[in-house]
Amino acid sequence: METQEVLQKPARTEPAKSTLPQPGRPVPSRAYPGALIVVEGTDGSGKSTQLYLLKRWLEIGGYRLHFTEWNSSPLVKSATRRGKQRRLLTPTTFSLLHAADFADRCERQIMPLLQGDYLVLADRYIYTAFARDTARGCSPRWLRNLYRFAPVPDVTFYFRAPLDVAVNRILSGRPKLKYYEAGMDLGLSYDRAESFRLFQARILEEYDKMVDSDSFVVLDGTMPVNKLQKQMRDIVASKIDLKRFAPRAAEAE
Amino acid sequence: MPDQERDKPAGTATAAEAPAVPVPPVSTPPKVTSAPEDTGPQSFFGEPLVGFDPSEITGSLIVIEGMDGSGRSTQITLLQEWLESEGFAVQTSGLRRSNLVGRDIDELLAKNAVTRLTLALMYATDFFDQVEHRILPALRSGTIVLADRYIFTLIGRGVVRGINRDYMSGLYAMALRPHLTFWLNVRPETAFGREFRKAQAISYWEAGRDMSLSHDLYWSFIRYQTMIKREFEVMAKKFNFIELDGEASVPAVNKLLRQRIADQLGIRSTKYTPSSALSHLWR
Repeated sequence: METQEVLQKPARTEPAKSTLPQPGRPVPSRAYPGALIVVEGTDGSGKSTQLYLLKRWLEIGGYRLHFTEWNSSPLVKSATRRGKQRRLLTPTTFSLLHAADFADRCERQIMPLLQGDYLVLADRYIYTAFARDTARGCSPRWLRNLYRFAPVPDVTFYFRAPLDVAVNRILSGRPKLKYYEAGMDLGLSYDRAESFRLFQARILEEYDKMVDSDSFVVLDGTMPVNKLQKQMRDIVASKIDLKRFAPRAAEAE
Repeated sequence: MPDQERDKPAGTATAAEAPAVPVPPVSTPPKVTSAPEDTGPQSFFGEPLVGFDPSEITGSLIVIEGMDGSGRSTQITLLQEWLESEGFAVQTSGLRRSNLVGRDIDELLAKNAVTRLTLALMYATDFFDQVEHRILPALRSGTIVLADRYIFTLIGRGVVRGINRDYMSGLYAMALRPHLTFWLNVRPETAFGREFRKAQAISYWEAGRDMSLSHDLYWSFIRYQTMIKREFEVMAKKFNFIELDGEASVPAVNKLLRQRIADQLGIRSTKYTPSSALSHLWR
């Protein structure tokens, strides 16, 4: 079987079997060759715009990347929609359904791509669940366990904007707030806009608590878009070895 | 999956350390104290469930666990009739029966395009939806809830598929601790025969075909159910299961169940003969 030689794949550093993630166990970022960049922040903090611009920058540069959004797995979409429309969700089932959605994306996209040496950009990640579901009253310890299977990001950007700025951005551009989005299930206020404001205030508080414990890179969401993007690109370039994700031609030189 | 067996014995979470931001259930005035961290038999395994107070529980939660073909459903049907004849209101629960995601899970199973973790979390969603919308309301109104399987099956299924054991029990930290948990223990070989006779077939999931244990349907079933059974043996000690011999006749098993339940509920007589509608089960 000497002919086998030709078929041999280029040496790819394959993680030893023991480091393969076990579902329900934390996945350290060294366990895979890819890199994970996450943006977090309240609604209206500017995070999606910034991640879009970062993605464009990397796409134009030809880097291997994948973009993933919170709450987007087709598998549990119908259940989530039904639960929301019929208001069947409680804090616990709301949280579990989002975890199921994330698990599906994690097991079928994020983990395989990280193992396949991709840059993965995530618009919202597990911290969204921690902030939102804790604000709804779920036990923080239970939540931390629930998402223990998630790989730890290489960089987590936290876009921080004062409550009024963020809330006004949303309220001026999108007059109709959805029931759960406005936190109406918490019974904070009968007025949707007011309920939204109170709910967002709680979420902001929860995000702030995670800055140190989860090594957030805090960015000022009120800065001009292009200046903020420059900061973000500099930080990405300093924290991640981007050459590794460059197109093959560039890699050769 | 022997490499997953090395985990330290799962301690279900002891007690919530920091009280979470207390949030009142919808439409109740803000209440600052959430559920007390009771360790008594009526309370939760670990964390309290958001917005529920276990002291409101006046009914009883009775769980019947056991593999497919152990006789669970037959026994529950008979127990319901007996309890109703004794004047108790009975509610049943079981897997995939929630309004929220019951059907979605059926679809996922049919399509067989789901990963183990997602499936485990969908089952957890289904479970808690039933706890919050079916089991707890019933228990608060003094109803007897007969649960056809409970968290133990769900934990066992996850663990044999390689999901961390602590993770699985942590997931169910807010499950209510049952008043009685029966385990109808049968040999997988017996269960196979019973299940096959029911439908003239064995389903993909019952046989654990997703685990690639064997191409032979029979051996796949036996190996899978043996793994589950081993998990049950571990949990039986930890969670005080009342183990019953599921190989015994239906009337014999039913009698033992009635005795324990009568004790629990303070029913004096355990006499029971099924009505003609159920007499076909009595063999």
